[in-house]
Amino acid sequence: MKGFNKKCLLFVVLIATLLTTIACNQKENTSVNLIDNDENNKRVVNFFGPMEKSDPNADNTARTAHELTVIMAEEKLGISVEYRTYTAEDYQEKTYDDVILDRARNNMDDIYLLNPDGIQALGTEGKLADLSGLACVQNLREVVKTANTVDGKLVAIPQEIVVYGLFLNKEMFDQYDLAIPNTPEEFLECCRVFKENGIETPVGANRWWLECFVIAQAYADLYNGDNTKAEIAALNAGEAKLSDYMRPGFEFLKQMIDLDYIDAERAYIYEAIEGERPDFLAQKTPIVMAYWGAANTDTAYGNPDFDLQVVGFPSHRGQMPVVSLSGYGVGINAEHLDDTLAIMDVILSDEALKIYTEHNKVISPSKNVEVACIDALKPLNDRINEGVYVLGSDANMSVEQWGNICLIVRDLLSGASVDECMAKFDQLQEETLK
Amino acid sequence: METKKNNNKKVLIIFVLLAFLLLGSFVFFIATKISSEMSQSAISNLSESLDLIRGTIEILFQRDAEYQKLLAEELVVVDNLENYILSYDRNSTIVKMSLVLSGKTEGISNNGRLFSTDTLDFSDNNMIDGLLVSTSYLNEMGTWAYTMACPVRENGEEIATLYVEYIYDSLDDVFPDKLYNSNASLYIMDAKTERFLLKPKGIGERVAGHLNLADFYRANKILEENIQSEIAKSIKNGKNIMFYHDINEKESLIYMWAVNNGSLYLIGYVPVEAIQREGKAVKQNILNVVIVMLAAFFICCAVYFVYEKQQANLRKEREIERELYNKQLAEALQVAQIANTSKTMFLSNMSHDIRTPMNAILGFTTLLAKDADNPVKVREYTKKITSSGQHLLSLINDILDVSKIESGKAVLTLEEFMLNNTIASVDAIIRPAAKEKGQIFDVAVTGIKHEYLIGDETRLNQILLNLLSNAVKYTPQGGHIWLRIIGLEQRSSQYESIRIEVEDTGFGMTSEYLEIIFDAFTRAENSTTNKVQGTGLGMAITKNIVELMGGTIDVTSEVGKGSLFTVELELRIAHQKADKQFWKKYGISRILVVDSDRKACQDIQTLMEETNLIVEVLFNGEEAVRAICETSVTNDNDYHLLLLAWQMAGIDGIETAKRIRKCCSKPIPIFLLTAYEWDGIEEQALQAGIDDFLLKPFFVSALKEKVSAFYAEEKATDDERHEELALEGYHFLVAEDNEINAEILQELLEIEGATCEIVENGQIALERFEHTAADEFDAILMDVQMPVMNGYEATKRIRALERLDAKNIPIIAMTANAFAEDVKDALNVGMDAHVSKPVDMIVLTQTLHQYIKQKEGGQ
Repeated sequence: MKGFNKKCLLFVVLIATLLTTIACNQKENTSVNLIDNDENNKRVVNFFGPMEKSDPNADNTARTAHELTVIMAEEKLGISVEYRTYTAEDYQEKTYDDVILDRARNNMDDIYLLNPDGIQALGTEGKLADLSGLACVQNLREVVKTANTVDGKLVAIPQEIVVYGLFLNKEMFDQYDLAIPNTPEEFLECCRVFKENGIETPVGANRWWLECFVIAQAYADLYNGDNTKAEIAALNAGEAKLSDYMRPGFEFLKQMIDLDYIDAERAYIYEAIEGERPDFLAQKTPIVMAYWGAANTDTAYGNPDFDLQVVGFPSHRGQMPVVSLSGYGVGINAEHLDDTLAIMDVILSDEALKIYTEHNKVISPSKNVEVACIDALKPLNDRINEGVYVLGSDANMSVEQWGNICLIVRDLLSGASVDECMAKFDQLQEETLK
Repeated sequence: METKKNNNKKVLIIFVLLAFLLLGSFVFFIATKISSEMSQSAISNLSESLDLIRGTIEILFQRDAEYQKLLAEELVVVDNLENYILSYDRNSTIVKMSLVLSGKTEGISNNGRLFSTDTLDFSDNNMIDGLLVSTSYLNEMGTWAYTMACPVRENGEEIATLYVEYIYDSLDDVFPDKLYNSNASLYIMDAKTERFLLKPKGIGERVAGHLNLADFYRANKILEENIQSEIAKSIKNGKNIMFYHDINEKESLIYMWAVNNGSLYLIGYVPVEAIQREGKAVKQNILNVVIVMLAAFFICCAVYFVYEKQQANLRKEREIERELYNKQLAEALQVAQIANTSKTMFLSNMSHDIRTPMNAILGFTTLLAKDADNPVKVREYTKKITSSGQHLLSLINDILDVSKIESGKAVLTLEEFMLNNTIASVDAIIRPAAKEKGQIFDVAVTGIKHEYLIGDETRLNQILLNLLSNAVKYTPQGGHIWLRIIGLEQRSSQYESIRIEVEDTGFGMTSEYLEIIFDAFTRAENSTTNKVQGTGLGMAITKNIVELMGGTIDVTSEVGKGSLFTVELELRIAHQKADKQFWKKYGISRILVVDSDRKACQDIQTLMEETNLIVEVLFNGEEAVRAICETSVTNDNDYHLLLLAWQMAGIDGIETAKRIRKCCSKPIPIFLLTAYEWDGIEEQALQAGIDDFLLKPFFVSALKEKVSAFYAEEKATDDERHEELALEGYHFLVAEDNEINAEILQELLEIEGATCEIVENGQIALERFEHTAADEFDAILMDVQMPVMNGYEATKRIRALERLDAKNIPIIAMTANAFAEDVKDALNVGMDAHVSKPVDMIVLTQTLHQYIKQKEGGQ
C-alpha cells in the first residue's frame, strides 16, 4: 500500500513537472502576421438617424428591434452599418428634419431615417433613390407604397406603420367618472372637469405632435368618406382651400390653449416625449399624444403604474387614429449605393420585419406579418382594423402636410391667431401650386 | 499525555494558521501591488492614447492652418479672386471657402452663395497657428464645422480675409476604430458651448449618445456638484481631467482631454475592467493559484486527518484486539490449568481405578495359589478375577476410545442394522442392572417409520449404553429411568430422523458441571470419595461419537430432580428385505392388536404399514374377545395373529387370551406385549394359551423372529451350535512372541479340542509354514507386533509363497491393536480376519470355523 502511494505521488509530481515545463516553454508563433489588414477593407454603409437622449442603460425595445434587423443584414452581407446621429439640443437648434435635409442634399450619408415631410421634400427634389426594385417591395401594404411614392418613385420604406393616438390615464378618467372622449366637444368637456379638479394641464403636449388634433379633424371626412381622390385632386388643383380643412382643428387647439388645457409655452419648447413624459408618468397629466410604439418601450410609456389606454384623436367621426409613415430613404448619390440597397432589402424583408414587429409589437408594413398588440393599444388597433384613420402625410397631396402643419401649429403656440395660421396655409398652398 | 497531545495539536493549528495568514497577507500584498501597478500602467496607456489622439488632431489643425495660409498667399497673385474661389471644389476636409474683401462684411463662397461674417463667432479668440478659429456650428451640410479666418496680405497690407470651413467629420479617421475593444466612448466637445460635436462611428454605443456635457452628466449620473465644479474649473483652464466614477453600475474611468489649448475636449469614459483586463487576469490567476493552494492545503489536511483517524481507529482496534488476545490467553491459560488439573486428577483417578481391579486380580491370584485344591474357592476367585479383569479392560477401552477420537482416527463402520436389535441388546444389559438397583426402566419407541437402518450399530450401542449406564449409575434405588426413541419428521426420504431421550430421576447435576460434562477427564464427583465408579470419559466419548455421526447431544438437569439427555441423529434408511414372502409363507395377512394405550397401537400400525398386512386395533380385552369370537363363528375375516398387551384397562392380556382360547377353537398365535420380563408371568400366560411374549417397544423384526420361532423353522439349539463350533481335531500354527499369551492360547485351544504349534516371530512362522506339508495346519493365528518379522510382513510373505495352500490357508490376526484401521490393515496384507486381544474364545472359535469351512469349500 505504501509502495502504491509512493508511486502515485511520484506520478503526480512527474505530470505536474511536465505540465509546468510545457507551459513555460510555450512561445508565440513568430512566423505569422498578427495584424488583420482585411479590417481596413471592410464594406461600410452609413446610416443617419436621430440620436436618442434617453439613458444609455435604458432598455429601448424599438432601438433593439431595429438593431436586430441591422445585425441580421450585417451578418448576411458582411457589410458594417455605421451610425451617424443628430438631435437638436433645444428648440433653438436646427431640427433633425432640417439637418437631414442638409445632409441628404450634400450626400453626406447612405441611408436616412426620414419623417413624412422629409420624404416628400427630398423625394420631390430627386435626392432619394427609387426603391421599387427591391425584392421586399412586393410584400408591402398598398397604403405604405401609396404614401411614400413621389413622382412615381418609391422613395422610402418604413419598418413599422406609425400610428399616432392619445395616451390616456384611464384611472384618472374613471376617478372623475369621465368617458373616453370621441368628439372634440367631449374632449373639451373632459379637460374642463380635469381642470376644475385641480389638474393644471390636462393635456401634456410637445412641439411636434399637437398637429395630430388638427389632422384628425381636418381629414376625418376626406379619408373616411367616398370622395377621397376627388377631394385631394381639388386641393392639388387649388379648387379647394387647405385652410378650410385646417380651421376646425386650429380653432380647437386655440380654445385648448386659451382655456389653459395646453401649456403653449412649454409645448413650444418640449421635445417629443422627453418634455411631457415625467408629468404623465407621475399622473399629473391625464392625456398625452404619442405614436403606437411608445406604449411598448420603457423609454417612453411602456409599463406605467396605471391603466394606460391609447385611443384615436377626437373628431366628429369619433376617435381617429393618425397614420404617419416615416421611413428609410437612400441617397440618390449615396457613396455605397449598391451595398445600401442590399442592406435595405434585408432589413425590410419579411424575415426581418417579423423580428422587428414581434419584438416591437407594432403594425408591420408587410402584408405578410401580423402580431397581436398589447391591451392598451386595442382601442386604437380596433379603429385601424375597421379602416378608420387619417393619413398624416400623403405623397398624393401637392402640399406637404406633416411638416408644414407642424410648423404652423408652432406659430399658434407662439401666439399667432387662427386667422394668421389660415393665411399661412393659403400662402403655402398658393406657393406650392405655382 | 492526552493534554500534551491536544496542546501539540493546538500549537500546530496555530502555526499553520499563522503560516497561512502570512501567506495570505503576502499574496494580498502582491496582488494589490500588481493591481495598483497595472492600474497605473493602464491609466498611463489611456493617457498616452488620448495624448496621441489629441496630438494628431492638433497636427491636423496645424496642417490645415498652414494650408490655408498658403492659399491666402496664393490669392495675392491671382488675377480674379472670385473665379478662383468659385473654382474650388469641396473635399472631405475643406467643405467651404469664402473670401471677404477688407472693409466689407459680405463676400462670396465657393458654392456661389453670398457669405456673411455675421454667421460666425470668433469672440473666443481661439487660434490655430496664428489663425482665428470660430466656435463650432452646424453647417449647411448638417454636420458640425468650424471656420478659420486667414488674412490675405499684399505687401503687408490686408486686402481680404480667407474663410475656410472645416468639418469635424474629417477627424473621424484619427479616432481608433475600436478603442479598448469598443468598450470606450469618445466624443469631441466644444469647450465653450459644451456641445458634443462628434461621436466617431464605431465607438461606444451604436445609437444612444450624448448631446452635450449636461446630457453626459445626466445620462451617466455624474451628479456630484464638487465633481462638476472641478470639471468646469479644469475646462475653463484648459486642463486635462480623469477620474473614477460608476457608469451603468460599473466602475469607469472618465476622461476629458484638452485639445488646442482647451478649445475642444476629447471626452468619454471606459469601464475600468476594460482597461485593466491584464491586471484582472493577473489577479484572477493569483486568486486561482491561492484557491488551488488552499484546496491542496485542505485536501492535505483532510488526508492527514483521515489518516490520523484511521491510525487512531487502528490503534483502538489493536488495543481491543490486544485485550481480546489477553483475555483469550487468560482463558486459554485457565483452560490449560483446568485441563492440567483434570489430567492430574484423571491420572490420580486412573491410578486408583487401575490399581483397584489390579489389586483384586493380584490378591485373588495369591488366594488362588493358596486355595488351589479347593475347587469351590478356585471358581469363586476366578470369577472375581474375571470381573476385575473385565473392568480393567473397559477402563482401557475407554481410554483408548478417547485417545482415538481426540486424535481424529475414529472411523464409523456403517452397516445395516435393525433398531430393535440395538434396543433389545441395550435393554438386555440395562434392564438387569436397573432391576438390581430397584429402578424402573421404561423403553418407549414412537413415530419410527423404518427400523432397518444403516449406521455404526456398535457406536450407537455405545451411546445408549453410556447414557443409560450413567442413568443407572447416578439414579438412586427406586428411581425411574426412561429410554425414548422418537421418530422425528423426516427431512429427507433417505434418512430417518431419530431423537433419543434418556431421562432419569437421579441426583442431577449442577449448572457448573453441565458446562463441562462433555469434557474429557471429568466426573461429577471425585471417584475416590464417591461410590460411583467411572473413568470420567463416558460423556466425552458419547459427545464425540454423536458429533462423528453428524448428530447433536444436549442435556438438561436439576440437582436432586434428575437429568434429561437428548441425542438427535439422522440415519440412512436401508433397503428393506422382501417382506411379503415372509408373511405369506406363514399365511398371515390380518393381525389384531389389542392395547388400551392408543399411542402404542398407532405406533404398531405405523411400523406395520410397509408389511401391507391388515392391522386392526382394539383398545380393550372385551372388545377383542367379542371380535374374535364373532369372526370365529362367521368364519369371516379371520385374524391370523393376535398381539395382546399385558396390562390394559379392564381385563388384562392374559385374561383376554384365556377367553379367546375358550370361545375360539382356531390355533391363532397369541403373543403377549409386555414392557417387563416374561419370567414372572410365563407360566400363567402359557396356561392362558399365550404362545410367546413380545417385548415392548414393538418392532416388526422382533415380531417376525417370534413368528419364525413359533412355527419352529429354525430350531437350532445352543448345544447344537456349540457342537458346530467345536475345534476338535484342528491343528494351528500360532505366531506369538509373548510366552504367557502363547501359553494361555495353547491352553484355551486345547480346551476346545485343538492343538497348536507356537513360534516366536513372523520369520519363524514363515519358515515353519514353508517347510511343512500341505494341510498340516488348518489355520495360522498371527500376532502383529513381533520381533524379527511382524505379522503383516509374515502374512504377505506366506501369501507370496508358491505353495497352493499359501493362498487359501486362513490367517487370523490376533492382536492387541484393536482399532478399525488395524482390522483394515490386517485384511489389506492378506489376512482373513481380525480377533482382538484379550481373546474371546467364542469369537475366536466362530471365526476359525467360518474361514476353515470356506477353505474347505474352496478346495
